[in-house]
Amino acid sequence: MSFDFAVILAQGPKILSGIVVTILIWVGGNVAAAVLGFLIATLRRFGGRGVDVLLQVPIEVIRGTPFLVQIFLLYFGGPYIGLRLDPITAGFIGISVYGAAYYAEIFRAGYRSVPVGHVEAAECVGFSRNQIIRFVLLPEMALLVLPPSINMAIILLKETALLSLITVPEMTMTVSAIGSQQYAFVEALVVLALVYWALVEVANWLGRIAERKLSKLSA
Amino acid sequence: MTWKLFSLLLEASLMTLLVSSISILVGLGIAIVLSGMRMSGNRALFAITGVFISFFRGVPLLVQLLLIYNLLPVLGLTLPSLATAIIGLSLCTAAYQAENLRGGFEGVPKGLVESAEMAGFSPVQTFIHIRTPIALRMTFPALVNEAILILKSSSLVSAIGLIELTKMAQNLAASTYMPLPIFASAGVIYLAINLVVAWLGRRAENALPGLPTK
Amino acid sequence: MTDHAIVATHVSKQFGDTVVLRDINMEVERGKVSCLIGPSGSGKSTLLRCIAFLEQATSGTILVEGQPLGFVGDGKDRRRQSPAELRKVRSKIGMVFQQFNLWPHMTALGNVSAALRRVRGMSRSEAEDRAMRQLDHVGLKERAGHYPSQLSGGQQQRVAIARALALDPTIMLFDEPTSALDPELTGEVLSVMRELAAEGMTMVVVTHEIGFAASVGHKVAFLDGGKLLFHDTPEAVFQKPREPRLEQFLDTYLDRGAAMLK
Repeated sequence: MSFDFAVILAQGPKILSGIVVTILIWVGGNVAAAVLGFLIATLRRFGGRGVDVLLQVPIEVIRGTPFLVQIFLLYFGGPYIGLRLDPITAGFIGISVYGAAYYAEIFRAGYRSVPVGHVEAAECVGFSRNQIIRFVLLPEMALLVLPPSINMAIILLKETALLSLITVPEMTMTVSAIGSQQYAFVEALVVLALVYWALVEVANWLGRIAERKLSKLSA
Repeated sequence: MTWKLFSLLLEASLMTLLVSSISILVGLGIAIVLSGMRMSGNRALFAITGVFISFFRGVPLLVQLLLIYNLLPVLGLTLPSLATAIIGLSLCTAAYQAENLRGGFEGVPKGLVESAEMAGFSPVQTFIHIRTPIALRMTFPALVNEAILILKSSSLVSAIGLIELTKMAQNLAASTYMPLPIFASAGVIYLAINLVVAWLGRRAENALPGLPTK
Repeated sequence: MTDHAIVATHVSKQFGDTVVLRDINMEVERGKVSCLIGPSGSGKSTLLRCIAFLEQATSGTILVEGQPLGFVGDGKDRRRQSPAELRKVRSKIGMVFQQFNLWPHMTALGNVSAALRRVRGMSRSEAEDRAMRQLDHVGLKERAGHYPSQLSGGQQQRVAIARALALDPTIMLFDEPTSALDPELTGEVLSVMRELAAEGMTMVVVTHEIGFAASVGHKVAFLDGGKLLFHDTPEAVFQKPREPRLEQFLDTYLDRGAAMLK
């Protein structure tokens, strides 16, 4: 048994393009998911009981089913109802919607953590709802929602690997394709694992810096 | 979508349940051993478990599964897909469960360990009979959560050829050209299983003896 | 063999720069009860925990039934005992904690029988028989199947006493056994301890119950600022005129034990 990593690493530019696609989908999807999740949580917070209960349903469905089944449904099932998406678009939508369900729960917990009295005090001095969100609720819950958000971002980074199964040309697909062409599949997977590991550790490190900065700001 | 197709999915979901439940339990065992190694005071063991946990939490499960699936034969170990799937899922969940348990072990009040020490328990006995059960009790909700995560993650073992719920859905979708109802049905089955697991978890949580008081 | 169950010689304890115990010399006779009193932070709990070897004295020696505890030798030749040696000496000691420290995942019976099974290697039925007798002794036979969370504080502390007694110690250490209890629950615990003293158990009790110390203690030790100021009979310690520090301390607690001291 011998491993030959050179044949994999010789394909540097291709690997790099895979990494770029992964990072773009991840960053874009993560931002979209966070924004969507925040909007959902805000709607639930201010939209009355009916909206709150109604929005709970899709969130539970998304959180209760595998991401893989969701993207299969979207990508392979979509065309049967006229939703014909290219892999990258489908992947992006998939990550965003999936992540949004989790972010919505994170922000909901954040909203709940702010004492009612603080909001009432802001109402009394004449803040509008948007001002209350901006100047009272968001800053107060920031420290609480940041750690689970970082955690979620890292989960989403790893979930992008599944997009290879709907032929998105991201890292996992690109590198394993190189592996099959070069008859060096194990080597390719080792390289792939190490790149993901490095990306996750970097994301973790950035997250810790962000947490430290924020806790200093609010201290 | 016929009853015939749906019953095939239901049958395949038994494999999902089997793989997930075995992996959760094996993973829990590994996680307890990892925790013991981390708390042993031995720096080498601490470092090794740290790298193990970081790796399995840092690499997508799909990549881990593909790696194990392709690496084992190269190392001369040819296992059926079921065994490979269980190994992959167990190692991955072990890393997460070890992290969960860490919080539990840290939360075991010092006095409970001291009283074991005074009763003559050795450090290993204290770990097995006192610290671990209390840590497990304290992190039980996290364990239920992890079980649900693994049930969902088990869909990835379809990529290494094990015919569980997701793989069956893929096969049926390809042969019937009805991916929409078939994947939707698979989703409904996953959702139902997870709701039941969450409900059972809540009931068990209430039935378990109380948490330690500080 | 000496008559002394515990002999502490030149015991000092420091946490970093903070001196908690200063050169303590103290003897506890076999079959006698010594009560440690003193203001909080005086080092009385630390001294007790040193006698249990839950804290390690920085210097000095402690003999338990004539056997060195924790360390062998003194000064330069001082070395840690092996875990097996330590367990052997410690097996003579039973400890009762302020916070009870019952294991929450075991019933009362499980708490009392666990060490009998795991440490003494008894069969389950043998261990449970013996545990049941101990629970009966503290009046809690009917609560054997209850978990700690289902018991009152006083009941939990009595189970904790039974747990320690089940291992047949010759010395019982009590670290503020009633301080975590509501006032109306202290009585049941103190009366179990009184009975135990009457049966001739060697006991060292850290307590704020001055009345208990005066009536049950054969000796009362008063610690202040890490120093052992007195270790004498209650009559000698509490007789007037009293040392100013003791007088000041007693003023704080006088309402509790006043009647007994007059």
